[in-house]
Amino acid sequence: MKDFDLVRLRDDLSKRGILMVFSGPFSHCIVEEFGNAVRHYLENARLSRAAMMDVFAVYVEQAQNVGNYLRRWESEPHGARIINSGIVIIARDDEHYVISSGNLLAPQDVGPLTAQLEQLRTLDKMGLKALHKEKLRQPLTEWGSGGLGLIQMARKATAPLQYTLTAVDEWVFFTLRVVI
Amino acid sequence: MDKLVIEATRSSPALEFDAETCRLSIKGESYPENAAAFYTPVFAWLKEFLADLASGAAVQVDLEILYLNSSSTKVMLNFLDLLEHAAQSGVLVTINWRYDPDNEAILECGQDFSEELKTVMFNLVEQTEDLS
Repeated sequence: MKDFDLVRLRDDLSKRGILMVFSGPFSHCIVEEFGNAVRHYLENARLSRAAMMDVFAVYVEQAQNVGNYLRRWESEPHGARIINSGIVIIARDDEHYVISSGNLLAPQDVGPLTAQLEQLRTLDKMGLKALHKEKLRQPLTEWGSGGLGLIQMARKATAPLQYTLTAVDEWVFFTLRVVI
Repeated sequence: MDKLVIEATRSSPALEFDAETCRLSIKGESYPENAAAFYTPVFAWLKEFLADLASGAAVQVDLEILYLNSSSTKVMLNFLDLLEHAAQSGVLVTINWRYDPDNEAILECGQDFSEELKTVMFNLVEQTEDLS
């Protein structure tokens, strides 16, 4: 039987400034409960209400993006691995809070997502506001707000959105990092 | 027309729409699992209510939103658009966007919406501490 070295895992999380982490299937209940825990944590850390709500808002968009994407694979015969691949992390980096998420993507979904992110990375605050105004009028899709969430995260962030792509067998593990 | 009353949950707001007094209020946070599904009965009620209104009727809408996720932001704009159309056909619509000064994101959100509306009276109202 495999054993887990929880002492080392906890120590590693702490050294990396990771305050809270959730990994596993993202149900709406989990999004609510973990979000509630994040808010309590930040309230106890005496964070201003504005900063707390920014962290919470970015967390909700990330968790719902991950959850909505993973749910697409529920009825797929080989979807189990992708469905359980989600992770969300709240971390502290000096004066900033960092909200990160990750999940497996099918290779065909990488291009459209990174194109959106690359566009957002080139825009300043005014450019992001203009794009937000344009996307606000586009209808909801079956899977969410059609990229409006990414724009809202970019508007709250203090640095351009960062992402990574790592090949994992026939999938790609995508991570997104937002600094508040 | 019956009142529309929906209790708040952790991820959805409380709604109270009263056709008799022409006052509609939405209060709380909105990040439901499926925003389109949550707001479907709300839109049905609002469309029926607005269809029955005479030109010159006055409607007051109080929005005291603490948080909107991106999907709910789109739905809220659709909601405001319906009120804007009613205003263009002669209904006097007043919308009070009530915000806590410590919650800057909600003020910014209200400002974004106000840019999309022309005919309704859209007020950004700073909420001071409720001592009652």
